[in-house]
Amino acid sequence: MSHVLRLENITMQFGGVVAINDLSMHIDQGEIVALIGPNGAGKTTAFNCITGVYEPTNGAVYFNDQCIVRNQPTGRMKKLYAGDNRTPCEGPRIAMTPDKITKLGIARTFQNIRLFKSQSAFENVLIGMHLRRTSNPFSATFRLNLQEEKQMRQQAMELLEIVGLGAFAYEKATSLPYGQQRRLEIARALATQPRLLLLDEPAAGMNPQETDELGEFIVRIKDDFKLTVFLIEHHMNLVMDISDRIYVIDFGRQIAHGSPAQVQDDPEVIRAYLGEEEA
Amino acid sequence: MKKSTRMIIGFLLLALLFLAVWLIERAMGTNSMVITVLKKGAVYALIAVSMNLLNGFTGLFSLGQAGFMLVGAYTYAVFTIPMAKRMAVYQYYQGGIIQFEIPFFLAILLAGVVAALFAALIGMPVLRLKSDYLAIATLGFAEIIRAIIQYDKLGPITNGSNLLKTYPTFTTVLFPFVVSAVCIGIILLLIHSTYGRAFKAIRDDEIAAEAMGINLFRHKQLAFVVSSFFAGVGGALLAMYQGTVQANAFKSAMTYEILLIVVIGGMGSVSGSVMASFLFIACSEWWMRFLDSELMIGTFKVPLLRSGFRMVVFSILIMLVVLFYRRGIMGDRELSFDMFRRRKGVASK
Amino acid sequence: MIDKLLPCLLSGVSVGGQYALIAVGYTMVYGILRLINFAHGDIFTAAGFFMVYLAASLPLSLSLPLVILLTVALGFAVERVAYKPLRSAPRMSVMISAIGVSYLLQNLMWYITGGLAKQYPVIPWLSTSIAIGPTSTKIVTLFTPVLTIILSVALVTLIRRTKIGMAMRAVSRDFETARLMGIKIDSVISATFIIGSFLAAVGSVLYFSNYTSVTPTIGAMPGLKAFVAAVFGGIGSIPGAVIGAFVIGICENIIKMLGYTTFSDAFTFALLIVILLFKPTGLFGEKISEKV
Repeated sequence: MSHVLRLENITMQFGGVVAINDLSMHIDQGEIVALIGPNGAGKTTAFNCITGVYEPTNGAVYFNDQCIVRNQPTGRMKKLYAGDNRTPCEGPRIAMTPDKITKLGIARTFQNIRLFKSQSAFENVLIGMHLRRTSNPFSATFRLNLQEEKQMRQQAMELLEIVGLGAFAYEKATSLPYGQQRRLEIARALATQPRLLLLDEPAAGMNPQETDELGEFIVRIKDDFKLTVFLIEHHMNLVMDISDRIYVIDFGRQIAHGSPAQVQDDPEVIRAYLGEEEA
Repeated sequence: MKKSTRMIIGFLLLALLFLAVWLIERAMGTNSMVITVLKKGAVYALIAVSMNLLNGFTGLFSLGQAGFMLVGAYTYAVFTIPMAKRMAVYQYYQGGIIQFEIPFFLAILLAGVVAALFAALIGMPVLRLKSDYLAIATLGFAEIIRAIIQYDKLGPITNGSNLLKTYPTFTTVLFPFVVSAVCIGIILLLIHSTYGRAFKAIRDDEIAAEAMGINLFRHKQLAFVVSSFFAGVGGALLAMYQGTVQANAFKSAMTYEILLIVVIGGMGSVSGSVMASFLFIACSEWWMRFLDSELMIGTFKVPLLRSGFRMVVFSILIMLVVLFYRRGIMGDRELSFDMFRRRKGVASK
Repeated sequence: MIDKLLPCLLSGVSVGGQYALIAVGYTMVYGILRLINFAHGDIFTAAGFFMVYLAASLPLSLSLPLVILLTVALGFAVERVAYKPLRSAPRMSVMISAIGVSYLLQNLMWYITGGLAKQYPVIPWLSTSIAIGPTSTKIVTLFTPVLTIILSVALVTLIRRTKIGMAMRAVSRDFETARLMGIKIDSVISATFIIGSFLAAVGSVLYFSNYTSVTPTIGAMPGLKAFVAAVFGGIGSIPGAVIGAFVIGICENIIKMLGYTTFSDAFTFALLIVILLFKPTGLFGEKISEKV
């Protein structure tokens, strides 16, 4: 069976600290899948492994059946390795850089917003379109790509309209309020024409109403752009509302998986979030 | 104002500037201080803008500019020394092994190309380094290039550590103005293209830029090669300005001077770099000259004034800019019509 | 061969020791401020000029400690005037300020000396020649490595055992947290510059006793080489900087012996680039990764 994204036995270790431990999961076309867990459970680290920012210590990541990341413990790590899965991942090492992975069709937003500070909202989105250019430095410099440039500007403006920032196109990105900056990050990610969108806490710092709107918005762009969405989120209402499936991790390990209803009643999940009662 | 009218006015102003420069030259004669400042200022403007492309727009803290200028200056000089004069210039190397000359404009272009080739080679290893290591590595490469050019065994080509001279120089001040203006124009076009936006994205946030699908290495390499190309052209112009070149003059102090010009003009502002170049050259070559000569008022000898004082005052001024006026003249903005309109209080946009 | 190799190695070790004394200043400042202190080489030169001018009118027993005092004061002043105001500025600004200071110091020294090379005073004991086997050398050649090692052992002990040393380690590990823990950042940084300048002053006495003339820009090259040594050893590591400096000093002299004097400077930078490519953390450096 073919999945949009598949993680196979991913372990990410920083020195002796195991941030993700033998994590396997899959996401299918058109799904909205959430990754939840207490603070420090390793959620963002999982995103970083998928997008090529970190190289996992062991395991592989497949995007539409193409292997984009694969590694096994080598050198010093052989001794230090402390993942639950003792069998090293088979096959040659593959470590695509983040830009290649984005080009294949995975785009992301960041937990601690990373917009281009000196640029306007409009330019931020334009930069997201740079990777689909057909011009080369020469034709771009001497304006032989006017048609393309015009198209890029038009699309960027449309994307800003879609996320509701049309009126703020020429504002400096960092002068926008927090919630709008998060939307701008989504617009910028959409500009790269992704198939899979990774959202890292898109509702952080939003009030309940904004969060509700964001939920509807995510579902809408998923349908309009024929996306698959993978999100990390702490707002449980949002997660339960829009997710098709949920993975729960704690201390880097998967502790539960299933539909929102299943996960909600899972005793492991309740224990992870609320703590264990001392006997 | 419409974009096209703005452009027409811009070009008219530029043409007016050229006309003014030409008139000044006619009126003052080629050897006046004003003309010297204008010539050297135009050359430095190009070099400063090329450095700004790297340090200000792409966020690469590179200190190799003097090395690429050296390559450009030597390429220009070596290929344009007239055949008849080669025996005298290369007196220790039996006239050298290059026994032909090419037209000076081709040589200027070649100067840029050779510098760019060097940059492409050097960039492969060093552009993967983090900011301050990049600074030291590029500085190191400039030193290596300087050592290689002075290497005795290369004497038949580079004349070793001896002077190169008698090649064609400026006949009019308009020449460096036109070449610099064309080159800076091309850099501006690049900065305002989709690649320029990618450069600025890398400067603002490398990790986000890479997540947006921008190949960091390829874009840094592009900025580095283009910057070095124009540094090479600038080096050729500097050789023309000076009339002689010697590798020993292209030390890291030269790079530092250009960096300080960029800082004074504003990191990330092309017009700032241009203004700062003329200001810097005018101060160091002309307006502050009096500080270097002893002055008697009646029988009273003004203290401190003697050779070298100018540079002390000058570097103190620069330190004041660096410490208290960190954004420089322009910050990261550009000189534009809007700026003047806003000053007059007319709503913009 | 051996009669050429021995003096070559001797002077290599000696030059290495002098580089080491400068390199420690670089590595400590970098470890704490993440700043390449471009002015450090010029402070080293200034120490040379202090000696030239002081020894002209004072006996050595007075001028020697005064040189060290003045150099330390200069290093302290440079930090307070040019780096402290930029504590919260981007790192590039501080580096530019360092370059500005270097430019200022060089121009100032040029102004004071009139751009002429000055003869360094002869320090009797250091400049005495002694014979080793078939060759003879100045005592300073032998004395330098010994003094370098003694001073660096003392420094490492200071950093490992004393309170200020602990504060330095804390600040270099995490600037902000150290501040929150009540460490007086500014005094730790000042202490770093004072130690660095002290070692540069000692290094300059040894260096110029060997080379005998001082010019305003003479410190730039040893300064850069010392920085390379610091990178080679792993920036932030004192033993690393010392070992790196010895390696560079020896290699440089071997290259000179083989007749490629033009390339002795270039070699240092080639070494730097090779290290940065294959082992960016140097011999003893620690890896720092950015949080995303």
